[in-house]
Amino acid sequence: MQSDAAQSSGKQRSRRRGLSFEVKMMIPALVILAAISILPLIYIIWMSLHNVTLLGGSGIESNWTGLDNWGRMFTDSNVWSGWLAMIIYFVATVGLEMVLGLVIALVIHEVAWGKNLALSLVLIPMFIAPVIVGLLGRFLVNPTYGLYAWVLRESGLYDGNILGGSVSAFVAVVLMDVWEWTPLVVLITLAGLVSIQPQVLEAARVDGANYFERLRHIVLPSITGIVIVALLIRSMDALRYFDIIWQATNGGPANATKIIPLRLYESAFRFFHLGYAATIGLLMLAVSILVANLFTGILRQRGLLK
Amino acid sequence: MTTGARSSAGRVIPYALLILILLWTLVPVLWMLISSFKSLGDVLSPTPLLMFEPTLANYISLVSGGNNVLTYFRSSLLASGISTIIATSLGCLAGYGLARSNFRAKKHLAFWIISTRMAPIAAVILPLFIGFTFLHLINTVWGLVVAYLSFNLPFAIWIMNAFFEDLPPGIEEAARVDGASNFQTFWRIALPMTAPGIVTTAILCLVFSWNDYAFAVTFAGPGSQTLPVAASQLITQTGVDWGQLTAIGTVVALPMVLVGLAVRRYLVRGLTLGAVTGE
Repeated sequence: MQSDAAQSSGKQRSRRRGLSFEVKMMIPALVILAAISILPLIYIIWMSLHNVTLLGGSGIESNWTGLDNWGRMFTDSNVWSGWLAMIIYFVATVGLEMVLGLVIALVIHEVAWGKNLALSLVLIPMFIAPVIVGLLGRFLVNPTYGLYAWVLRESGLYDGNILGGSVSAFVAVVLMDVWEWTPLVVLITLAGLVSIQPQVLEAARVDGANYFERLRHIVLPSITGIVIVALLIRSMDALRYFDIIWQATNGGPANATKIIPLRLYESAFRFFHLGYAATIGLLMLAVSILVANLFTGILRQRGLLK
Repeated sequence: MTTGARSSAGRVIPYALLILILLWTLVPVLWMLISSFKSLGDVLSPTPLLMFEPTLANYISLVSGGNNVLTYFRSSLLASGISTIIATSLGCLAGYGLARSNFRAKKHLAFWIISTRMAPIAAVILPLFIGFTFLHLINTVWGLVVAYLSFNLPFAIWIMNAFFEDLPPGIEEAARVDGASNFQTFWRIALPMTAPGIVTTAILCLVFSWNDYAFAVTFAGPGSQTLPVAASQLITQTGVDWGQLTAIGTVVALPMVLVGLAVRRYLVRGLTLGAVTGE
């Protein structure tokens, strides 16, 4: 009896110890996070298996449709073209941002006078709301009074309605995204460049290595890890946000820039096919979790994540 | 001689490139700023005008007449401000807990936390929309606060975790030996030492939520409309008044540029979710 009581009180104590100070500190945040992430996840899965319609007021009506939404999605050519546009947009924006970001970081790193000011100025676009970037882009390429449209026309490079043509509109929204997010790559890459030991570079210089040799053999290899971080951060955000295209073209002209999140939003809030939109959303979620896994996996491998 | 010539050319090239880079970066921003001080006639001039009579008409029209921007400003400030305060405070607690705990599932917990931050907004909006409809959170500032917590809270936990992991462990141990409780050690020792981290976290949370459009346009109604939504609606309502639009664009962008650059030293840490240490 006594030993039983002692045992059970010991168990209780260890259970109480199990809910340690550290766990208690996490509880409020984790409870809220669970409520706004796990519940919606369960709900979006439920939605994808139902036909969901909004009623007036605050009601919804739903009936079980099994895998109908999924079957429809995999045969919906609009969804496929949305993914295709998404992939092209993703590769073009993230690719350009990485290359330009690296080049700009190298340039700023070489600048001796005014370096801090230059960096601050270069970073400005990434603090501006993407909606404003989309609207500003629309203003700049407006065929009658847009500054950039005027420059292109006067220089004889392009004379036409930029957001009116499929290819030119696509190029324009890619460049708007590149304008806003290249600074983030610059910022991250520059942190890598700053951490290279100057003695190593000096030694290579003394040995007669020119700038491009030093770049290839010393600089680039030592910032690979950080460049991967930049790549993955950008990749995740590129899958996340769609505000710029939304404002600049809203998917047009003729669906040329209608990337998959715009397609989803339209299904949900224009045609009110909420269950179907949820199915598209789940596939997007799966893709982003895949990328997130890649992100943490590579970082852990490189020891950048504890 | 040749080396000297090469090195002087090498010294000039970066500056030449820098000028190009600054033109690419700053012309749109400056054009927005300049246009916001133009009269509508000057904004719509087919040849770009650099010389014009500056006017405050666009800014005045934002705070007078039918579309009073001040109410949108208030909604923006409340929604992003409250969400930032909640996310940063709970993020400090949880980030510290995560940094100091040592259980087997820690990696999985950390991954779950950050994966909620990476979920595509378009996908997150749907279940939240239905949930908010049930809870009558549509068209309220609180709905937006909750929506913004969905990305600010995981972000704050993850970043504060990184900042707490950087602290030298000896100091906290010393405090504990001196008889401080766990919470006192956190409150009096660890928290003050991560002050730059806390400020960075708060500012980035503020920027993310202030700049949100997708959640706001879906969940907000007339009573909780934010500035970015107001900006986008200037386009659809009465044709496009680009003068007014550039003015509201400036109002949205300027505060975020200023607070963002104020924590530039710590930005890398924050924006790489703690993976890269800055300057």
